[in-house]
Amino acid sequence: MSVPRRAAVCAGDSGRPLTVDGREVDTVRESWLIEDRWWSERPVRRRYWEVVTVCGRDEVVFHDLIGGRWWRQR
Amino acid sequence: MFVSWSANIVCALLPRFRLATAARGRSELLRAPVAIAPEPGGAQQVGEASPAAEAFGVHEGMRLGEALARCPQLLLLPGDPAGIADRWEGVLVALESVGAAVEPERPGLVYFDARGLLRLYGGGQSGVLSAARRALGQPARFGVAPTRFAALAAAHRARVRRPAIIAGGNRQAGEFLASQPVTLLRERAELAQLPEALERLGISTLGELAQLSAAAVADRFGTVGLRAHELARGGDAPLRPRAPSVVVRESVELPEASCGFQLERALQLLIDRLLARADRRGRSFRSVALSAVLVERGGTWREQVTFREALSDPVRMRLALAPRLALIPAPAQVLRLAVERFGPPVAQARGMLEEPADARRDRLREAVRQTRAAAGAEAALRVLTVDPGSRLPERRAVLTPFEA
Repeated sequence: MSVPRRAAVCAGDSGRPLTVDGREVDTVRESWLIEDRWWSERPVRRRYWEVVTVCGRDEVVFHDLIGGRWWRQR
Repeated sequence: MFVSWSANIVCALLPRFRLATAARGRSELLRAPVAIAPEPGGAQQVGEASPAAEAFGVHEGMRLGEALARCPQLLLLPGDPAGIADRWEGVLVALESVGAAVEPERPGLVYFDARGLLRLYGGGQSGVLSAARRALGQPARFGVAPTRFAALAAAHRARVRRPAIIAGGNRQAGEFLASQPVTLLRERAELAQLPEALERLGISTLGELAQLSAAAVADRFGTVGLRAHELARGGDAPLRPRAPSVVVRESVELPEASCGFQLERALQLLIDRLLARADRRGRSFRSVALSAVLVERGGTWREQVTFREALSDPVRMRLALAPRLALIPAPAQVLRLAVERFGPPVAQARGMLEEPADARRDRLREAVRQTRAAAGAEAALRVLTVDPGSRLPERRAVLTPFEA
């Protein structure tokens, strides 16, 4: 359930997503940071973005601040 | 050629099995005075003790205070109940693999009847014992006698490569037992308290106990005394082998140390998975074992739960098992649920008249079965909320087998 899946995201210098899977981002609805399990061997650091693309899709993507990749999650 | 062998009960004794398992290969630890610590929340009595601790008079079942008074440098080793149960099951399965119908007494002590195996292993007792020794793959002492208790006494006298065999019938068994100490009665859980009382009365051998009249023993010690008296005279109850069965077990790893709500969700997941197992073959559960690997130095916790009646209803199973989770002494990183004993198939437990709700459930169950047959075991799943408050979405819920 809600397993993260890879997403192709182009981001600007500030980290804000500009395109998601080739679709241009129209609006950023919300952004938040999650830092968890920092006490374990597999810490989690994610910057989440909830965005609406120009075609009207609502997407939640996050940037893995440790691995450096972008993921989609519902 | 069939050889007549009246002494047919074999006792396999694996000395200090529980202590060795709890020590986890740290053999240097077993050379020190060490004993298994009392279980959290249980009776304050020590478990199996090392030879060095026994030299101070410490023995299994002794009160912790007395054990420490006798041996102030006594080291207490946390028990590993789940590890012991797993390893012991392996030993029993190994013996069953050579054809032995085993009756486990406790971890480290098991009996089986050799008569059915004689022809299989050359017609002689040595062949049977060699096969059992090979199957065990670890040092064990074998005693052979007409009764279980005499076989146990013989096993205590045996060496790893030299089994002790008491030939003849119950009379010969009684004669052999006569010189044995009454402390041997501690091997029977129901008689564990008796040797101390007997020794206080000056009765130190089983022969001295056997010479007393049954009436006098019953007058002083009641039913327990009569039981010990019968054993001392060479009698014993017949062997009751267990029914060999497949181990049906499920476990779930908890990524972070879990307790409370998360454990309950994990338990629900385990119940669903167990009920969905094909090797259950529709049978209900009579008894299950709930165990956990603890964060605290990898210790374990184990609790066996026997239901009032055989169950296959996940809700009722959860109601019976969930309160046990509160007994886990530390946060857990792995939770396991294993079937100890099966009950009758579910179909036999139905009422005479089917209620509409039951009929609907049956139709749903059949639909799930057919869907799984067509599309695989994971065709019908249910969303189970595991940790709804987690900040990581993938940890909030999991998919679990749907049990109609």
